[in-house]
Amino acid sequence: MRFLPYVLKHLRRNWIRTGSTVVGMAVCIFLFCTLQTLLAAINYSLQSASASRLWTRNSVSLVFPLPLSYKPRVASVAGVRRVATASWFGGVYQDPKNFFANFAVDVEPYLLMYPEYVIPDEQRQAFIADRRGALVGRGLADKYGWKVGDTIQLESTIPPYRIGRPFDFVVRAIYDADLTRNPGVDLNQFFFHFEYLDEATGRRVGAGTFVVEIDDPAQAAEISTAIDAAFENSTAQTLTETEGAFVAGFISLAGNLSLLLNAIGLAVTFTILLVTANTMSMAVRERRTEIGVLKTLGFPSRLVLWLVLAESLVIALLGGGLGLLLGWGGIHLLTGLPMLGPALAGYPSLGLTPSVALGGMGIALLLGALAGVVPAMLAFRANITEALRTV
Amino acid sequence: MTVPELPSPEGPGHEEDRAGGNRAVVAGPAALPPAPGRSLAERAANGVPAVDVRGVRKIYTRDSQQIVVLDGIDLLVPRGEFLALMGPSGSGKTTLLNLIAGIDRPTSGAVFVAGTEVSALSEGALAAWRSRHVGFIFQFYNLIPVLTALENVELPLLLTRLSKRQRRARAMIALEVVGLADRHKHYPRQLSGGQEQRVAIARAIVTDPDVLVADEPTGDLDAKSAEDILGLIATLNEHFEKTIVMVTHDPRAANRAHTEMHLEKGVLAREVSRR
Repeated sequence: MRFLPYVLKHLRRNWIRTGSTVVGMAVCIFLFCTLQTLLAAINYSLQSASASRLWTRNSVSLVFPLPLSYKPRVASVAGVRRVATASWFGGVYQDPKNFFANFAVDVEPYLLMYPEYVIPDEQRQAFIADRRGALVGRGLADKYGWKVGDTIQLESTIPPYRIGRPFDFVVRAIYDADLTRNPGVDLNQFFFHFEYLDEATGRRVGAGTFVVEIDDPAQAAEISTAIDAAFENSTAQTLTETEGAFVAGFISLAGNLSLLLNAIGLAVTFTILLVTANTMSMAVRERRTEIGVLKTLGFPSRLVLWLVLAESLVIALLGGGLGLLLGWGGIHLLTGLPMLGPALAGYPSLGLTPSVALGGMGIALLLGALAGVVPAMLAFRANITEALRTV
Repeated sequence: MTVPELPSPEGPGHEEDRAGGNRAVVAGPAALPPAPGRSLAERAANGVPAVDVRGVRKIYTRDSQQIVVLDGIDLLVPRGEFLALMGPSGSGKTTLLNLIAGIDRPTSGAVFVAGTEVSALSEGALAAWRSRHVGFIFQFYNLIPVLTALENVELPLLLTRLSKRQRRARAMIALEVVGLADRHKHYPRQLSGGQEQRVAIARAIVTDPDVLVADEPTGDLDAKSAEDILGLIATLNEHFEKTIVMVTHDPRAANRAHTEMHLEKGVLAREVSRR
């Protein structure tokens, strides 16, 4: 501890360089925390996926709908228990930033497929009975202060669903979930009748997807193949996959999001390692004479090594701390991101978890140690007479 | 000038190391021409010498070429001596100083300082020994620019077990000795060259070492500052009885020493004694 003031004074010597390295380190740790939280949230949302539910969509892209006429044909495939249309509505409430997951669904079969949504009976019946009725998650209701009976309006951002005015809905039911038994259930979704959408748009829209409940989850692969085979020669071919695979694909859209995010994190971390190592090398190069003086005064080489390493670790600690602070604040902004936001909204207490924070600080310290080890070794090995000759 | 007393630091094993051994003192350099006063060897014969250099050779290898910098040096420096090492550039003065200070090792031969064979100590033991027994004064002061005068002087004491308060107190006494107590909060950039060198001297004496080695201590100073610094070094020698080995090119600086030793091409060529 007696050497700490000495270490800190050296860091203040070139405060611009130290500051920029600390900020670089902070950005790295911020990215790590944010990306890890993002991945954890995505994985959490996948936990709610049921093995007995399949999703059928247009094989080209989710953007293209499927003909509604496919529904009975899907239902007729052996092993299929029931089918429900589910179309992503892309509606916003009052302002584009109020963006959450909202689906037009075949209400009755859909609710039977999702027993994890806990809805009071009278509300369930009221929702089923009212074509303009809406079922909203508890999180969403709390966020916007909606109560059963409230009338609200959503306006879609998807062209086929834009009818020149917002859609009117009446909140008929609010669903909860037992998150202990069913982790990952998203309480920030909004459901309404597909028939309402179909009618309001002049019966010109198709189905975004079909949710398919099957009798035996072990038969999921065979049934998926059978469904897709049924439309193999149609103009709109289908792609059927398990709910888990569908949700993962929906969230990532651009492929393997996990790999992408980890690759970005790794690239940034490596860059910061080089930046910090360069900073420390410069700091040691500039102080060759000083290192010679310290050794002349009797500072053992090992102590000189630790002093240099300590400087690097202090930079790492400061950067890591700042990064965690940024991450703590920044993670809450994730829910505002398009596509990802709704998926993350269901993640319980979205924030910096202790494990991610510890991981972030661990990475910062590891970076500090790695960046400092070469300059520290140079200082360790520095020959006194040669170092003193440097003016 | 009233000079404050410099208490001994309380590092572990300090007093034991100071006691030294009881080795016989070898005869002085036989090849030297007769000196006007009593030679160093004669004076050192009365007890354990502060510095005893025996048959030291130092050879550097540069690009597969061997350069003999010191060629069989024998030197005895009694305690309390003020010795000036002189000679042309490349004669080996600084190399000899470095060997005495334990920051370099001889290729052959042995160096004893206060009875300890420093040339035989391990790297770690040598560092610990330096921190207790040798004070350094450099030509370019070599203060740490981010530390205040007080912190610079305190630096060697970080290696002792002294408390912060004790370290500060000792460092202040050392600054008082060099007359810069009132500038203790100043950074090196806020001091003149002469003042910087005074702080460097305070740093050198703060551990109360046996030997002070000075490499061109006035080489970067104007005449007035140089005179002040030489006066201070002479005071340290006379009042505190510090043994001083000083490398210099400056005949005026050498005149303040009791003895001048002249090196030429790695051998001691001449001794001038003023005692």
